Amino acid sequence: MPDQEMTKRIAEYIREKFLDGDPQGELQDTSPLLEWGVLNSLRVAQLIGFLREEFGVVVPPREIHADNLRDVRSITAMVARLA
Amino acid sequence: MSLHRLAIDSAAREPGRPAVAGPTGDLCYAELDYAANALAHRLRAMGVAAGDRVVLWADKSPDFVVAMQAVLRLGAAYVPADGAVPVARVAAMARDCTAAAVLTSADRLAVLRDALGSLLPSADLAQEPDPEAAPVDAEVAPDDLAYILYTSGSTGAPKGVCISHGNARAFVDWAVKELGPGPQDRFANHAPFTFDLSVLDLYAAFAVGASVHLIPSELAYAPAQLAELIHQWRITVWYSVPSALTLLMRDGALLDRPAPEALRAVLFAGEPFPLPQVRALARWTGARLLNLYGPTETNVCLRHEVGPADVENDRPLPIGTPVSGDHAWAETPDGRPAAVGEVGELLVEGPTVMLGYWGVQPHQGPYRTGDLVRRLPDGSFEYLGRRDYMVKVRGHRVEPTEVETVLALHDDVAEAAVVVAGSGMDARLVAYVVPARGREVGVLGLRRHAAQRLPRYMLADEIHFLSQLPHNRNGKTDRAALTEAARAEAVVSHPTEQPHASER
Repeated sequence: MPDQEMTKRIAEYIREKFLDGDPQGELQDTSPLLEWGVLNSLRVAQLIGFLREEFGVVVPPREIHADNLRDVRSITAMVARLA
Repeated sequence: MSLHRLAIDSAAREPGRPAVAGPTGDLCYAELDYAANALAHRLRAMGVAAGDRVVLWADKSPDFVVAMQAVLRLGAAYVPADGAVPVARVAAMARDCTAAAVLTSADRLAVLRDALGSLLPSADLAQEPDPEAAPVDAEVAPDDLAYILYTSGSTGAPKGVCISHGNARAFVDWAVKELGPGPQDRFANHAPFTFDLSVLDLYAAFAVGASVHLIPSELAYAPAQLAELIHQWRITVWYSVPSALTLLMRDGALLDRPAPEALRAVLFAGEPFPLPQVRALARWTGARLLNLYGPTETNVCLRHEVGPADVENDRPLPIGTPVSGDHAWAETPDGRPAAVGEVGELLVEGPTVMLGYWGVQPHQGPYRTGDLVRRLPDGSFEYLGRRDYMVKVRGHRVEPTEVETVLALHDDVAEAAVVVAGSGMDARLVAYVVPARGREVGVLGLRRHAAQRLPRYMLADEIHFLSQLPHNRNGKTDRAALTEAARAEAVVSHPTEQPHASER
């Protein structure tokens, strides 16, 4: 799957699940998700579950750190690397 | 005796044993000792002296533990701040407690120096230790300040809870007596260093030369990984909020594998633990299960050990009887001690009760917890809830007014109200926001605004917009009517997730 498509699906999931659909269209690939509380500890677990179901990617514990979850771009990069 | 003496004595007895371990690095007791002495010398050179405060701002790591030790060894007090806390709040804390220095990680140094905008010294807390550094071991009095933990404050600003060496030692010494750990023990550290649960993990381990295994904050709620770590690290003592245990059982498949033989005590505190969960845990492991109680202001002052009666009866798990040399009683609304079966506010007096809040008069007399309890026939207490608006979200206490104050600072916000929806694991901080007349507010913009001013656990899980807040007859926000008002306006664009069905 091209990264662009992956980025789109991850961003869509975050918009729908965590941003009430983001009616103002504020979410960008570089919006800091952890820092602004869009992703909290529980939602990280949900997101990891989504990545497994959607892309068949199992994220090992050592990959679950702030650098890989910072924004849509870094999440996509991690998934692409692990796929 | 001082809090820092615990690790110093263990380093003398067991220099080669692991002290701190985990994905962020390992230190044996000798390394911890060297590094703490070396950093103490550097801090002294920066002008830090006995009686000062030093703010530590970083992610959980062995370096952070070294920094705590170094500050204590100088007779100064540390003020921990999580790496995820916004720089503006760190600077505000440093100003509030008139810190002598701030230590942080290299990547945060520039932004910190900008925010401090003063001559306050700051430095990178990770530097190669000098093995030649002479020991530093300040003599302290029991009432000398050891650390300050900032908690959510009802006035809209955080409050600094001041804990002395005597306070901390009273409760750590109790924990050591209660658990009887030895150098072979392996403590898990789940809680952030800014949370008082971590004090037990760190110092009960240091007291006996055991190791403490740091769980990075990103993993704290990753259930499958956590379950794996408990096995892999052969954890003997686990201590966390019940939310984390519930998550481990529900989503981490903790109970699908046999309990690890090494595990011998599971401690929990910070919020009620639903009985069905407690029973599931008790069926799974032969480890001791201890329900601990104590706000940050009192440390652990009550404890209840789960026994056969809890497995058979349908009473909520009691919060137990006093420990750590404390006295606790319930006071009825008319000001007398509650009789058996009566409800009152829990009051605590004794060696673990804080010195006071930073910047206000020292605390005198019993501490009023604000918690409502029922006195039980066996001398223990049953927790019933809060007297005020303070709420708990995943074990963290949050004063909704503090979050409301911050949201209302946004230019496009007229008014905000914050409540908790759901309970236990499903508790969520929900903000209702009224945009200023003629303005539109974006969720993400508002999140950015809040994130620059509040720690992560105080950021709303959900933000909903309303045209006005419901008010009661006194003109105050009617919190109970908020959900209904939101529904009536149909501004909730999709239904909130249904809470999970009863676990029973």
